[in-house]
Formats: sequence, structure tokens, C-alpha cells
Amino acid sequence: MTVRTALSGPFPRSEALVAATRDLDRGRTTPEAVEELFARTEKEVLDLETRLGLDAFTAGYLRWQDTFRPISESWSGFSVGPVTRMFETNTFFRQPILLGPPERTPGAIAARLPLPLRSGEKARAKIVLPGPYTLAGVLDNRSGDTTEGLIHRLGRLLGDELRELRGLGYSIFQFQEPLLVVDPPTGPRAESVLAAYRAIAAHSAGATTIVWTYFADAVPAHALLDRLSVSAIGVDLAETDYEHLGPWSGAKALGLGVIDPRTTLPEDPTEVARIVRELQDRLKPPAIWLGPGGPLDLLPAEAATRKLLLLPAARRALAADGGPR
Amino acid sequence: MTSHPLFPTQEIGSLMKPRWQLQGQQGVALDERARTEFRTWDEKIHFSRGAEASANSLLTDPPGKVSPDEVRDLGALFGLRYFETRGLDRVYDAEARRIEMYEYPIRQMHGFQFFGHVRSFDNKYYLKAANTGEIRLERPYHVEEFDFVRTHAKAEPKLPITGPYTLADWSFNEQFLARQKGWKGRATRRAAQREFVVDIARKAIRPTLAALIEKGCRVIQIDEPAAGTHPDEGALVAEGFNAATEGLDAEFTMHICFSDYRDLFPALLEAKRCRQWAWEFANRDRDGLDGYEVLNVLREYGDTRDVGLGVLDVHRDEMETPQKIAERIRRATKILGDPKRIWVNPDCGLRTRSLEVAYAKLGAMQRGAELVRAEFSNPRT
Repeated sequence: MTVRTALSGPFPRSEALVAATRDLDRGRTTPEAVEELFARTEKEVLDLETRLGLDAFTAGYLRWQDTFRPISESWSGFSVGPVTRMFETNTFFRQPILLGPPERTPGAIAARLPLPLRSGEKARAKIVLPGPYTLAGVLDNRSGDTTEGLIHRLGRLLGDELRELRGLGYSIFQFQEPLLVVDPPTGPRAESVLAAYRAIAAHSAGATTIVWTYFADAVPAHALLDRLSVSAIGVDLAETDYEHLGPWSGAKALGLGVIDPRTTLPEDPTEVARIVRELQDRLKPPAIWLGPGGPLDLLPAEAATRKLLLLPAARRALAADGGPR
Repeated sequence: MTSHPLFPTQEIGSLMKPRWQLQGQQGVALDERARTEFRTWDEKIHFSRGAEASANSLLTDPPGKVSPDEVRDLGALFGLRYFETRGLDRVYDAEARRIEMYEYPIRQMHGFQFFGHVRSFDNKYYLKAANTGEIRLERPYHVEEFDFVRTHAKAEPKLPITGPYTLADWSFNEQFLARQKGWKGRATRRAAQREFVVDIARKAIRPTLAALIEKGCRVIQIDEPAAGTHPDEGALVAEGFNAATEGLDAEFTMHICFSDYRDLFPALLEAKRCRQWAWEFANRDRDGLDGYEVLNVLREYGDTRDVGLGVLDVHRDEMETPQKIAERIRRATKILGDPKRIWVNPDCGLRTRSLEVAYAKLGAMQRGAELVRAEFSNPRT
């Protein structure tokens, strides 16, 4: 069985970027100077990912003000709304407001990807986008469409996005879906989620598609997650009652959020290796992705960097024991 | 004991810092706008009385002649007179000496390390500390600040302090999590967080409250803005409150805002020493919604404590009329049944509004309270 490692979302901005972006807001520096620092820091994150031996690269998505902003700022029908709490955290996002039928703007997401992902080895770049259910759930829907209709429509648009990005050479896509476990859909809403991911899958042949869940236990949503047309499902191990996690049908890989971004305390690689082995023995997934359980930018950059050392350490611990069985 | 009229009014948090105070603290020469601001407000609320020497020096002497501490004293006098001139029954100094409500208290304690900033949203960040070792209070804080207020206040002072639940929630918990064996799952994390909240309450907040009470502080508002972050942790908010106030004799109130209070009940009822719930309501009293309807939760649980009724939306410049405020008070009175339980206040601190707008809003609040007061003292008119 293969064990892969990667970041599963945004990396925190460095202290230098914190200072620079603050200064930018206060008119104490220039956009050009901040842009240069963003580019340099993206490169540093990429270097860190390389040093840690990760299997896919993100370059940190440092410029994105929040997960939803690339869409709410660039797709038609959207506007950027009020500051809203990001689930049970002390972090906030600008709520997308949907004023009419959403339409994607070709090229807009690709243009907002971190520079190293645009210029580097695209096959190993991990494109992280909001999932259709979470996006539909957090936005202020004034479009007149039902939530179910909107989920399906967003799935089709994200499928079109994936097709465009596939055409540019990208092949690893992750959809952020905390809401799937925080508020698991049922009935017609669950059906619309399945339809949305079928629409995405229509353009994903040969690509790796991952649904990453966090902020809540994935066990109650297992049946639905198992039916999603994706290559892998990620669960937040700090929230999930992993002993009761059921097997995935088909050939889905298992994503394990082994780094808890809600504490600076580093995880124990031996303990992580023990859980990975246990899940491998019981669930027998074809592959396992290890990464942070939620957005790593809930931590300061220094602590996030320190905690990421877990990924190679866990891999070593697994290898020392003959690897996952 | 201080006696109050029906529907007494109170402040609830900080104000925007005057320009002259910011420049004065930095030791730079006041610009013309800052001087005008100083003089305009001094004519209106006479805040420099008793501190004329510092005031004159700040306005006329070379920069740096007045020390930052003296400027802060002037700022505190400004805050006090600002509220008192509006006729508020309970006042503080507008938190003139404070910059924020998390970092300062944490820096008064041992056992914490700051690893860097965490993003709040966009390009806004905050320093978030990790509790890595035993919590020990360096020395009780806010005590000198309160002493100044007590000496200079004409109305009854009420001290605001950040509560244990919020301080813990806004920090990383390493110390107590590290003590837990095995994988740090949800149940383990919650157990560790409970220990953290109670420990910070007992070792840092309670000694500070005791020192404040020793100085004569009689009314203390414990701010728990994080209470609504985890809706199922109402019991922990209450436990932290109880641990912080155990065995202490003062009037304790709890301020929570921008939360769904219903989620915290009935667990929050266990905060036994809390005499008043000071909540935000006006912010949600719009777009055809009744922001005061949530008060029914107190009636449902038979809770008869006082309510600090937020009647001013602190996020909008739009001015509430006295009539609107009176109508809000009437609505709350109808739900609570007893007019004596209601204190009237802004939703939260008015620091997001300009000093002019905040002052006008407080004036409307005072007149609104007077309108309803008159109705109750003369019910047939």
C-alpha cells in the first residue's frame, strides 16, 4: 500500500508577510513590495514541501484571503459579503453572496494559483478548491435557486473548472468539504451532493480527486462520503472516531488528517503510525494520504512548520515497522 | 450600596481612542486636527478639569514633555467624563489604557509563549499564545487602572475583564493536552480544555478579581466573547466563571455578544454568581427580525437575573432614535415581566464608531431610557 503525504489546505503566512500585508493596508508599503514577498514566501513553502518529501505541492495558497475568495471574487453572480466565523474557530471568512445564477470566469482560478504551481511541475501540484456542498452552505443565496439546485450547479461549474485545469496539466484536485461532516446532508440534499460530484467526475478521468473533511467526526457521514465519485476521502483524525470508521467501497484512498491545527503541541509519530497501521489492517484502502486535519493557517507559521515534521517522521515510523501492511 | 433609577444605563466596553491620545502617547507633536479634537471635547465634557497642567503641556509644550502615562491618565478622564456627561449610571474609563483584551492579560502570566500571528481574516491577524507550562500570575492586573477610575469617577464604576473561557479559547492548549495519554481526539481535547479554563480562572483571574475587590471594586463585568464559538461548551463557560469568582463578594456580570445565546442554555444557568447577563440585541433587531425575542430563553428557564439590554448597534452609524430605544426597552420588559431587571447599554463597545457618532448614540440611549422611565413612574400619561 502506498502512503502519500501533502498539505491539505492553506499554509500560514510568515511573520514577514503578516507585517507586510498589514503595512499594505496602512499605506506603509507598496503592492509591488508585498507581491515580491508573496512570491519569495511561496517559493519557501514549496522548498519546505520538497524538503519534507511531500508527494504533492501547494506552495501554501498564501495570497488567498480565504478558501472561497477566488470564486466569490472572480465568478459572475457572486459578490464578497460580511466577515463570518469559520465554523467553531476564531478565524473568519468573507461570506460569498450569490445574487444571480453563478457562472465561472474561464482562466480566473488558474490565474490565482500560487506562482510555483503555475510555473513548476503541474502534475504534482495540488489544486485546493471549495467543495460544492460547503460553498453552497456558507454563501448567502439570493439567486432564487434552491440549495439543492445550487449544489448541483456548483458541481457542474467546478467540473468545468477541473476540465480547464486538467487541460493546463494539473492532475491532483482537492475539494474542501468541512460542511459534509459538520452538517451531513440527507434526502434530496444528499442526492444533489452526489450529483455534483458525478458532474465533477465527468471531467476527472486520469486525475486524483480528493474530498477533504474536517472540523467534525466523519463517521456519521460515512455512508454518503463512500458514495461520492472521487478517488479519496480525507477525514480529520482529531475529530473522527477512527475506531468506528467503516471501510470504503470501490478503490477509494483514505486521507488521514493527522496534524491537528488547533494545537501547537506536536503529534507523536509513533502514535500516528500505530493508527495508520490499524486503519490499513481494518479498512484496506489502496492508498493513504497523510496531511493536516484542517487548515494549517489556524497556527502561526513557525508552529505549523514544526508540526509538519510529523509527516516524514510518521512515514519513517511506518517504514521502520515494515510499512503499512 | 448605590441606588439606581428604573432602567439604569451603563457602558459596556471600549471607545475609539482620541487622536490626541494616540499622538500624545507616541510622544509626537499633536497635529492641528488632534488639538481641535482635544479642545472641542474639552469644551463639551470638561475632561481636563483637575489635570490642567498635563492638558496645557500636551497642547503647548514640545512633544514628549507629557509622559505617556500622563496622556493615558487624560485619556481615562476623557472616557469617564464622556460617559458621565451622557448621564450613564455605571461607567468606566472607556478602556483608555488598553489596546486589546487578550494579549495584555496573557502577558501578566507565566506559562505562555507567543509563537507568532494567526490570521483572523483578510490581512487582519492576532497574536495567539500557547500555554506551555504551569500558569502563574506575575501580579494582579487592571488594579492601578481601576484605582484611578475609582478616584476620579463621579458615577458608579464597573470594571470589565476578559474571562477565563475566552482567554483559554484564544490560546493554544499544550500544557494540559500533553498530560493526556494516547491519541488527542475530541474527548481528550475537551477534557484538556476544561482543565485549562479552570486553571486559568483559579490561578490568574480569581487573584486579580480579589485584588480589584480589595481596592474597592464592587461591579465587575466578565467578558466572554468566545462563549458562542463552541455552542456546546456553555457548561465550561459557567464552570470557568464560577472558578474565577469563587468566594468573592462583588456584583459580577457576564458580557457575551454576537452569539446564539440559546445554544448556551440551560448550561449557562450554572454561572451562579453572575447577577446580570449583558448581551447584544440591537444588531439582530432589523430586517423584520425581533432581536429581543431571544430573551424568552430566560423566561423559559425561570431565570430572574438582571439583563444588560443592548439597544445600540455598534456596527452601524445609523442613529437609533430615543423612541426606537424606548420601544426596545418596552419589548424586553414585556418578555422579562419585571422592569427592575433591565439595565440599558450599547450592544458592545462603541470603539468601531467615531467619538461623535458614539456620543450621539449614547445620548439617544439615555433619552430612550428616560422615556420609558417616565411611563413607568406615571403609568396613566
